[in-house]
Amino acid sequence: MNSTEAAQAILKALRGAGINLVATLPDINLSELLRAVEESRELIHVPVCREEEGIGVCAGAYLVGKKCAAIMQNGGFFNSNNAIVSTLLQYQIPLLLLIYYAGDIGDRTFSTTGSLTEPVLQALGIRYYVMRETEDAPELIRRAQILTEDSKRPVALLLTKELLGRRPALKAL
Amino acid sequence: MQRFDCLKKLAQVAGDSLVVSSAGAVTLEWNALRPGDGNFRVRTLGLCSSIALGMALGLPERKVIALDGDGSLLMNLSSLPTIARMKPMNLVHIVFDNEVYEASGSKKTATGAGADLVGLARAAGIDNARWAESVDGFAQAVEKAMIGDAVSFIGVKVGTERGPVSPYPIDEVENKYRFIRYVEKSANIEILKSNLPASYD
Repeated sequence: MNSTEAAQAILKALRGAGINLVATLPDINLSELLRAVEESRELIHVPVCREEEGIGVCAGAYLVGKKCAAIMQNGGFFNSNNAIVSTLLQYQIPLLLLIYYAGDIGDRTFSTTGSLTEPVLQALGIRYYVMRETEDAPELIRRAQILTEDSKRPVALLLTKELLGRRPALKAL
Repeated sequence: MQRFDCLKKLAQVAGDSLVVSSAGAVTLEWNALRPGDGNFRVRTLGLCSSIALGMALGLPERKVIALDGDGSLLMNLSSLPTIARMKPMNLVHIVFDNEVYEASGSKKTATGAGADLVGLARAAGIDNARWAESVDGFAQAVEKAMIGDAVSFIGVKVGTERGPVSPYPIDEVENKYRFIRYVEKSANIEILKSNLPASYD
């Protein structure tokens, strides 16, 4: 699956899970997904200047009935941590976090960011799943949305390059 | 000019607007003047403007009022260009600028050293941004914003005096549930659906 097809599959899954507001900040590996989000007429798209804003926007929208997702790079997840702790966790507000996994195994950049991403998620008690197979995306997004709503805590899906169609799937090698 | 006197004016015109207030005494003062479940207290310094933006986008037919402070907005200045970009016509963003981190020991903020929050809002693309110079001027600005159909930003320089009010009576989770139930009832929508399965699966 190429990156355009992967982006469409993820967008469709988000819609299928009932998501109707998405806050985003770009990473080059998210560009096709963000293009799909931008072009979708069924989503309110909020391009933020700093990821922590997006946590606030999604929390506010949730309180008035929207189902939200925040799409960012893992550096942006680090940028968002105070809001995640003192708004999402403190008030028990659900949110689907779609985090591009920079510094994933095999990357030549952001290895420090990559190596600290899962430990920080664990420290915050945020359940997460590393997504590598694009075909699994619809079901995992559906399940993650159920989990975040049921637990009233954020849930993170880590988007790898192969998930996003930016490098070959492991099983294709 | 004191914040409490401005809030009294706001309470006269706020109606059933949803009100998001920044961490600090402004929340207590507002809650004393307009008690009710349509008030949401923010705990993350800076996030008031962003939470209010999310509410305004999510419920466009309802006025949303953000009661922000200088220390708070300075921490989340990037929310200004985002608000300008999204153009939420139902958002009224009020900033009480007392030039200190009032809830954190009253150290001087950058506005006390000359930073101009209304200037920053205008430069970010919020054309409808102005300073209110008196309590009456504030009342007029708020009245205009409440009937307007564009995002408005109202800055007001206030003293550091606190209104004679009680502590906030509820915790964060209760605030969340009460606020959501209030929105459900007043906007006639269902937000919290039962998540109980028909049988355990």
